[in-house]
Amino acid sequence: MDAHIRKVYVPMTETGFYILLCLQEANHGYGIVQKVKELTDGEINLTPGTMYGSLSKMEKDGLISFLQERDKRKIYQITELGKEVLTVECKRIDRLYKNRKELGI
Amino acid sequence: MNQTKLKLKFFDVMDYDKEALYLSEMHQRGWKLDHITFPCFYHFVACDPDHIRYQLDYNKDGIENKAEYTQMFKDCGWEYLFDFVGYSYFRKPEEASDMEEIFCDDDSRMDMIKRIFRGRILPMILLFFLALIPVMWVGIHEAIVNQESCIALLVEFGIIDILYVSIIGRFIVKYLDFKRKLGR
Repeated sequence: MDAHIRKVYVPMTETGFYILLCLQEANHGYGIVQKVKELTDGEINLTPGTMYGSLSKMEKDGLISFLQERDKRKIYQITELGKEVLTVECKRIDRLYKNRKELGI
Repeated sequence: MNQTKLKLKFFDVMDYDKEALYLSEMHQRGWKLDHITFPCFYHFVACDPDHIRYQLDYNKDGIENKAEYTQMFKDCGWEYLFDFVGYSYFRKPEEASDMEEIFCDDDSRMDMIKRIFRGRILPMILLFFLALIPVMWVGIHEAIVNQESCIALLVEFGIIDILYVSIIGRFIVKYLDFKRKLGR
């Protein structure tokens, strides 16, 4: 993981986190939007401008890769680098969770 | 035939939110956006007044991959209208208490500002230094030799220079403002 990836993705946005989390299975942008809505009971509604921009940026940075196109929808999957970034982010979230429990919240 | 309305309205390159709001207000008054012609003529068609949210995106990659780009918006319930000078126009019926935008976090809003910088502001800065300043310079020299005929030219370029500086300046102000809001 180089300095650029670290600077942009550690820590990462909620949008970036959910994209990587969902792309452990191949999916397209709108599929991710629906899945995140379901996972968060409708609390997080990812929007198309943010999704399109984030997916292009993450593809360019090599965190996800383009697999194929189906019905005008681009299907992506997480890459090894993406998995590495996701692991770092998960550790950070685990630490936040552990610390809040330790301090009784 | 449908009743139409033509409005001349100038929005700065960074005024996309203000422009979107204006289009929503027009729709609410029964005028729906049909198309825009250069430089800034807004063509409206009469419609039933309705609460419709308008949004602008600036994404060259999206325009180059239009089918996939507009499909994503369509899937999320946004109607794609057209592109105009690099901006793509979208609209969606407003649901009660819903203030949905096409961006849901400040990082992606900042990414759009950066795309506007690369696509619109940077070429202006280059043009300014590579063309307008040298032309001004030649103009000044000419004016010394051949006074009156060149004064008009000089004034014209002076006006363009001022316009450029003000657009670039306003971009910088808004960029810094947004950056401060992000707190980084």
